[in-house]
Amino acid sequence: MMFRLSSISGAALAGLCAASVFATTVAAEDLTTDIGTLDKEAAEKAFPAKPPYSPYAGRNFPTRPYFGDTHLHTSYSMDAGAFGARLGPKDAYRFAKGEEVIASSGQRAKLSRPLDFLVVTDHSDGMGFFPQLIGGDPGLLATPQGRKWYDEITSGKGAQAAIDIITSFGKGQMPKGFPTPGTPAYRSAWRETIKAADEANEPGRFTAFIGYEWTSNAAGNNLHRNVIWRDNGAKASLVEPFTTQPPLGSPNPRDLWKWMAMCEEKTGAEILALAHNGNLSNGRMFPIIESFNGKRIDREYAENRTRWEPLYEATQIKGDGETHPFLSPNDEFANFERWDKGNLDLTEVKKPEMLEFEYVRSAFKNGLKMEAELGVNPYKFGLVGSTDAHTGLAAVEEDNFFGKTSSSEPSADRATHPFVKTDKAVIMGWEQTASGYAAVWAAENTREAIFDAMKRRETYATTGPRMVVRFFGGWDFEAADANNRMPARIGYTKGVPMGGDLNSAPNGKSPSFLVAALKDPIGANLDRIQVIKGWVGKDGQTQERIYDVAVSGGRKIDADGRSRTSVGSTVDVANATWTNTIGAGEMITVWKDPDFDPALRAFYYVRVIEIPTPRWTAYDAKYFGIKMPTEATMTTTERAYTSPIWYTP
Amino acid sequence: MIARLLREPLLQFFALGAMLFALYGFVGKRSADAPGKIVVSASRVANLGDGFARTWRRPPSEQELQGLIEDYVRDEVFYREGRTAGLDRDDVIIRRRVRQKMEFLAEAMSAPEPTDQQLAAYLASNPERFRAEDQITFRQIFLSATRRANTIESDSKQVASVLARADGAADAAVLGDPFLLGEEFRGVSPSKLTSIFGEYFSKRIAAMETGRWQGPISSGFGQHFVFISERISGGSPPLDAVRPAVRREWTNTRRLETEQKLYASLRERYEIVVEAPRANAAEAASR
Repeated sequence: MMFRLSSISGAALAGLCAASVFATTVAAEDLTTDIGTLDKEAAEKAFPAKPPYSPYAGRNFPTRPYFGDTHLHTSYSMDAGAFGARLGPKDAYRFAKGEEVIASSGQRAKLSRPLDFLVVTDHSDGMGFFPQLIGGDPGLLATPQGRKWYDEITSGKGAQAAIDIITSFGKGQMPKGFPTPGTPAYRSAWRETIKAADEANEPGRFTAFIGYEWTSNAAGNNLHRNVIWRDNGAKASLVEPFTTQPPLGSPNPRDLWKWMAMCEEKTGAEILALAHNGNLSNGRMFPIIESFNGKRIDREYAENRTRWEPLYEATQIKGDGETHPFLSPNDEFANFERWDKGNLDLTEVKKPEMLEFEYVRSAFKNGLKMEAELGVNPYKFGLVGSTDAHTGLAAVEEDNFFGKTSSSEPSADRATHPFVKTDKAVIMGWEQTASGYAAVWAAENTREAIFDAMKRRETYATTGPRMVVRFFGGWDFEAADANNRMPARIGYTKGVPMGGDLNSAPNGKSPSFLVAALKDPIGANLDRIQVIKGWVGKDGQTQERIYDVAVSGGRKIDADGRSRTSVGSTVDVANATWTNTIGAGEMITVWKDPDFDPALRAFYYVRVIEIPTPRWTAYDAKYFGIKMPTEATMTTTERAYTSPIWYTP
Repeated sequence: MIARLLREPLLQFFALGAMLFALYGFVGKRSADAPGKIVVSASRVANLGDGFARTWRRPPSEQELQGLIEDYVRDEVFYREGRTAGLDRDDVIIRRRVRQKMEFLAEAMSAPEPTDQQLAAYLASNPERFRAEDQITFRQIFLSATRRANTIESDSKQVASVLARADGAADAAVLGDPFLLGEEFRGVSPSKLTSIFGEYFSKRIAAMETGRWQGPISSGFGQHFVFISERISGGSPPLDAVRPAVRREWTNTRRLETEQKLYASLRERYEIVVEAPRANAAEAASR
């Protein structure tokens, strides 16, 4: 159906409009929705006598996603510092804003494009204190020596003062009143973190959130959470971050939630937490039996978890957390960036029965089951990706990957060095995943708007590329909506966005979804869009199923909702290149659940798959002129995962 | 230069070993309790209580305070025993932590508050960094490369010829395909356009006139005809409008300079001798 635009006269305008509408060769076979022939009247409307009433005026729904990282460490984190990280929070925010910085390894580093937001999340344990030399400390300024240093520093002779001070240190001749740990003149790293975020925050242009990581690591099992503030430093500085070491802190998430409740109540702040790397928790991230007391999850746990943890970080440098081939044997894309050898420090090897409690998809499924028991779904969370880099550099593009730690910044041997090595297992450097970023559908780029969007779970995870993904669910979407000129408006009008809820199905109706994706403007084309459905059957057993809803290149979607033809590959590994001669730049469709049972709880989320591209290991091999180990993966299929839309009878 | 030096671990060790020693000397003197005696001073107890209160926004109970003191004593016992056993020596984590503290000292010494004069001078010498971005409002007609795989070139020519005769105000978007991010973009900066459409698009549109349909511009998505209705020129803002940004950049520049100077002058205090590895030395001797 390939209309050529024929020669045009004013009178043939109607014909032109119709032709242009018909001239669409859409990505997927089932997408050839016809929005109807425009008649003369419609065409005249398109070229009205006076300027048109703008349908965009006054709109207040999110019109574009903001990309960021909710999880980045700097030299303020003890382990990052030990690995040689020299960049602090200020440098991290500068880099995220698109400035060039010198990485800890001495190399110049810059992002292809700035990020829209960043949360610096250094570990709360061991955050520590740093000497505050001057800062107008009256006690110190009262001494002649202190006064002299102060004057030198303010007049730009800081280095001279430093020499003098250090010499005095060595001789034990410090003036009385010189700060010692525990006194206010020692700057806490937390205060400095807050200050860096407040300084970097530029509403409308770049959002710098205040946050930290609560790094619960009981027996080497990863139960880490990042905590993020909606507010500015005035509120965040009223507390010190919660730590995991008793007696002050605790490794039990229930205690973190207590601390969060206290923090909101006593400081008037609004905060949220998000966990990550269930793949390294050895069965403890999404438990049915709580690891701390051996009891079944109760309603209190479920309520708190769902209240305080609206999001989960589904993909990052230490592996992908969507699902695992053992859990999803019929999922061809499940075997992706697996880190499944053991727990975080590889002191305990993985057993297959742990996997169910580690991955996002199975957590969503068990959450439905637990909701039926408890009345509350503990695992009703949205998805983001983030880096968890310990370099101060949120750099996870395949051709611009700065690694997990400063010692794994680009070098000829970073891929072949062990990343973790114990007597139980080894994870090699090449297994690091160049992933991911958080995409948030917020109405504007401010702390408040992005935080609120996170709370309502209107987010998706990407493994690095900045593709645009839309996902709306409702009862009345019809095929023509896929050709609507304003997909977002029709989406918000007729349905709920990702992260939302559908309740009580209208009689005889199945849920329908408006699903769309646009490739990264400088990235690879898209292979397909899938809807992943999970539900609890009549027998009480959880189920999952994948539907290909839009596929590129005119491939067929079979009657079972799957397209098993591969998109192919254009990757030239040796040269680390690919071409966009396969796949599609954009896809949009309306999909209706063909197997809906209104009596059963269900969730739906979207997975967008890119065409194969070179993995960072291929870029490294090419740049450094080295040979990668034969077992190293050299290509990747980047992807995005949206927050689900839940159906509750 | 400094970056290259910093990559030389040997040099780091030489330069910093002495500082570490100095720092520990100082700390050691301060807490010079009699060996075999740990005094938890009243101010230390108060500090532990304060730390608790800062985390929990309430003072610790008697039992909680006892727990904190016990934990402090445990730290101190292990710390002292460990140091006696020399476990702090050649520990890369301790070295790096101490070095980090030194770098913090340097940071604290990059002048606390810049004067207006300093800021104005910085702004004047870096005008490009603080230039406010243009804000462009435009509509587009989008021809999708995906939907029009084989016809995009000829369709594009047709649209161009229609637009040449069309009223500028016309809502011509229906000539093209829907675009997921919309047809109208209000007050968008070039850097945002780069992140939405790519750099080429952003550069092309920056050079276009307002008030008429122009294009097409190619992007990774297809072709775009654009009608720019408004362009607000950014220009060079006065200091008052960009003070926080100028202050941040000024401070950052100062910080890096001071750190570099500090290291350079500290390093000058050392004679640095790098010995050749033994194998090479033997080889050299035999020649």
